[in-house]
Amino acid sequence: MDEFLAVESLVILLLLVASIVAIAVRRIRLPYTVALVLVGLLITFEQELAFEVTPELILALFVPPLVFEAAFHLELSQLRDNLIPILILAVPGVVLSTLLVGGIVSLGIGLSLSLAVIFGALISATDPVAVVAFFRALGVSRRLAVAVEGESLFNDGTAIVVYNIVLAAALVGSFDLVKGLLDFLWIALGGLGIGVALGWVVSRLIAQIDDYFIEITLTTVLAFGAYLVAEQVHVSGVLAVVAAGIISGNIGSRGMSPTTKIVLFNFWEYVAFFANSLVFLLIGTKVNVPQLVTHIVPIMVAVGAVLIARAIVVYGLLWLPSLRGQRVHIPMSWRHVLFWGGLRGAISLALALSLPRQLPQRDLLEVMAFGVVLFTLLGQGTTIRFVMERLGLTKRPGPIVARERRLGQLYAAQAGLSRLAELRHDGLLAGDVWAALRDEYHETSHLLAEEMSQLFAEHPDLEREVLLRARQEALHAERGALSDALRQGLIAEDVYRQLVSEVDRRLEALALISEATTPARTDEE
Amino acid sequence: MGPIVCATRGGEASRRTQEHAIALARERGDPLIFLFVADSSFAHPDSRALAEALADELERLGHSLLSIAQVRAREQGISAEAAIRHGSVRQAIEDFLREVKASTLVLGAPGAGSEKKTFFPGELPQFAQEINTATGVDVIVVW
Repeated sequence: MDEFLAVESLVILLLLVASIVAIAVRRIRLPYTVALVLVGLLITFEQELAFEVTPELILALFVPPLVFEAAFHLELSQLRDNLIPILILAVPGVVLSTLLVGGIVSLGIGLSLSLAVIFGALISATDPVAVVAFFRALGVSRRLAVAVEGESLFNDGTAIVVYNIVLAAALVGSFDLVKGLLDFLWIALGGLGIGVALGWVVSRLIAQIDDYFIEITLTTVLAFGAYLVAEQVHVSGVLAVVAAGIISGNIGSRGMSPTTKIVLFNFWEYVAFFANSLVFLLIGTKVNVPQLVTHIVPIMVAVGAVLIARAIVVYGLLWLPSLRGQRVHIPMSWRHVLFWGGLRGAISLALALSLPRQLPQRDLLEVMAFGVVLFTLLGQGTTIRFVMERLGLTKRPGPIVARERRLGQLYAAQAGLSRLAELRHDGLLAGDVWAALRDEYHETSHLLAEEMSQLFAEHPDLEREVLLRARQEALHAERGALSDALRQGLIAEDVYRQLVSEVDRRLEALALISEATTPARTDEE
Repeated sequence: MGPIVCATRGGEASRRTQEHAIALARERGDPLIFLFVADSSFAHPDSRALAEALADELERLGHSLLSIAQVRAREQGISAEAAIRHGSVRQAIEDFLREVKASTLVLGAPGAGSEKKTFFPGELPQFAQEINTATGVDVIVVW
């Protein structure tokens, strides 16, 4: 009981720390996950946590919801548009990266090739959480986000499969290429098959029900269940979760009411936030700084190997299909983001922690993995925003920024005027002062309104955008008013659900219209 | 002559298209009608309820955009009418031109970097030619 309470207290404490970090990063230009790792590091400087971060904890508890959430949000049509580059990066890309990293590390620090290849496999899965968070915040093209997320989802699975195959070969002392290939296909396709089957069954169930509590529960069962079932039959649990997430997110969500869809998506976003917060804090707490310093040379070699391999995979492999006349439309600026945004994270660490105790040089492989993860998070994670800005991928159309700026100024001026009116009403502002300030504010508001009119005259396309946004704002206000009406007992629960569902449907319709009419900025180079 | 119909959708080309149509109406003294076609086929809604919401929101958007166009015309001394039709852009425009016995249709060509998915088919000159052939109405494309 005491042990249980101690774990519970620790989790609550970590969540509190995570919340404080989440608030703090709103003011500084640092990815949330990077800040979590840093804070985790600081925590262990003070006191070592009495909590063991096991690979099972990461792989069976944290990875399924993280992978499921990302897959659940992935639109099949967008995935299809990017499928060739995603599969190139996630399948041959992982194999090539494994071999290249293995080769360079073996040559660089004199590690046996079999051990170096194990390191190459465990470090090949990308973890772009920090990058994708920036994509969302900065409004980067959805296609680029899908390419990055899609690659990560699939390479998590393939890297684990490749890792298990090369680890088994190293332990046995021989490697049969044909058997390795067949094992790879069986484990990967088996995992995907189980995920598709379970995802389809749950999607059919969801289609029969319209109750978001049940649907949340069913998707939770699916996320963890797909992993467990696949692992039980010795196929890829991660790929099973990927497939289950994509199927339920695309097919299962078709039959859902807009309200259920919103609640369900919000639930999974929160679960992902929860899991990410704990994973990255725990990663920070597991970093042993003195050990990293002692092994700085092999770590530097490993970092170099990972970067070289990533460059060859991203720039080289994605170029290959064009030799056969196939068009893989990944602009060069996106390839730079794919290269520098190829951070490493939870999967790599979980695999490093799961290395068998009897494996020679096990501790060296583990410390190299931690070093690479830390470098990618602190080095690449903190500079990826700069890279995206330099590449012009975060630029929003000038007129839209200008309109928002004036709108913000107008809101601020009106709030100021309203506060002055309150002060005047309460007798706290002398008549002549009030009159002078009021006139000044009116003048500012008038000027801003004129500038907005001018902006509309110069950029007629803003009209539609403004109308759509205004309508969205109005619908959000309507939704809030309905919640108030329910709380005040003015309307019954069933009426509330019906009305909110109508508003949500309209919001969804507006989102579709916005998507179809938003100017294309970064989709094309 | 019959009325001038200006098909508008509030995109990047809308202002210059409307201005062209207003100038034409003033020059000829013909009535001017702004037309908005609420075509939801681009979205492939996955339920009937969503399709209805989509059509309704497109109609609301159309009303607002047409009101702005009417104000623009009024400021230049032209009292323009407004109409909204649902369905595929081409069919709706052709039906409307016949309905009001229009003399001219004014369309705008979106500039580079505008909408990802235009409501008009990509080949605008061909589209204009086909409408002219089908209805006998003069079609002006404002570039």
